[in-house]
Amino acid sequence: MTGSQLSHIAMEIGVTLLSNGAETYRVEESMHRICMAMGALSAEIFVVPTTIIMGMTFANGDHMTRTHRIHTRGINLMKVEFINSLSRKVCYEEMSYEEVLTELHRINSTPPYPYFLQVLALGFVAQMFTLFFGGNFQASCIGFVIGVGIKVQTDVMARFETNIFFINIVGGFIAATVALAASGLGLTSQMDAIIIGSIMTLVPGLAITNSIRDIIAGDYLSGLTKGIEALLIGTGIATGVGIPLSLLSAFVRV
Amino acid sequence: MTLITSCLYAFGGSFAFAFVFNIPKNKLVLSAIGGLLGQLTYIIFQTIISNDVALYFLATIAISLYAEILARVTKSPTTLFLAVALIPLVPGGGVYYTMVYLLQENIELGVTTGLHTLGISGALAMGIILVSSSFNLIRKVMIHNKRKKKAVAISYKE
Repeated sequence: MTGSQLSHIAMEIGVTLLSNGAETYRVEESMHRICMAMGALSAEIFVVPTTIIMGMTFANGDHMTRTHRIHTRGINLMKVEFINSLSRKVCYEEMSYEEVLTELHRINSTPPYPYFLQVLALGFVAQMFTLFFGGNFQASCIGFVIGVGIKVQTDVMARFETNIFFINIVGGFIAATVALAASGLGLTSQMDAIIIGSIMTLVPGLAITNSIRDIIAGDYLSGLTKGIEALLIGTGIATGVGIPLSLLSAFVRV
Repeated sequence: MTLITSCLYAFGGSFAFAFVFNIPKNKLVLSAIGGLLGQLTYIIFQTIISNDVALYFLATIAISLYAEILARVTKSPTTLFLAVALIPLVPGGGVYYTMVYLLQENIELGVTTGLHTLGISGALAMGIILVSSSFNLIRKVMIHNKRKKKAVAISYKE
């Protein structure tokens, strides 16, 4: 395997891991192990949530540097899991360049769960957490509607590359407005449970987890970045919920 | 009764979130059980401990242990199980009530609730840090010992 082929494989694996929600140290470690297992003399890899920088030297004295900028980041833990087992396989077994490439292509073209299932799932999340925070069945059905609405809204806004802060403001706004309207119409008396339950769909669970795990691993830069992302999302949700609560509560008797 | 149903709701919420995170089919239920486990720990210790933050800390320790052990057994990333199981413990209610009190210009209650929420978030972070660091330490020690044994065996052969 030539040096450029090796760097190509390592970079593809790193990019797929990072843009689908893996921790920073996992990306660095996987790429480093692959480089060393496939014949590099030394490899230095630096990863932050938006960039990968990789430099390596070979036994014949050549050296090579590659960088990659990550523009879109999503959450697809299925790919993280598959890439994780692929990189383990690459390190322990002999695999040719073409074999690894076909395997990578197969992983990258694995379809996620169907879209309607994801929409229903997020509605179900809102419903379950409305019940969890003390709502009755009727309140939970309103929560379900809000959850479905928030999922569609976040996806539409994400397609137009809106920033994450604004997406969550609008999400919180929808949750509070619908809950206020429902309680204003007399459909429910448990507005609080509905709002809390439906904003749980926006909670940045993965950002929190990854930020803590990055800080443990010593990647303070990535950990802080993700922690601030989680904090911004939380603030955005609170802001979004606060706007209708302060403006509309004058019109709606709660 | 409400305590048991809250466990089921936590399980349902986690299970649905596993779909959103695109967790592989064979690990959907396993990761959702983490959410149930966190709530169960919270409820069990509620009978002895009255401090909220300590309860969240214990619940986080339980789910982190679960996630780390399961990750070693199934050879998959810990995040897969941890991120889903953590969701029911995230203090969404705390954030909401902080904001409501502040909007009602009830500053004192707002700040109290806000600090309490901050305490809960800290407890979540500390719980994960404690368990993950211990697991890392154990792994490092085991690797170290294995190398030592190998070196000793080689030197005996020579």
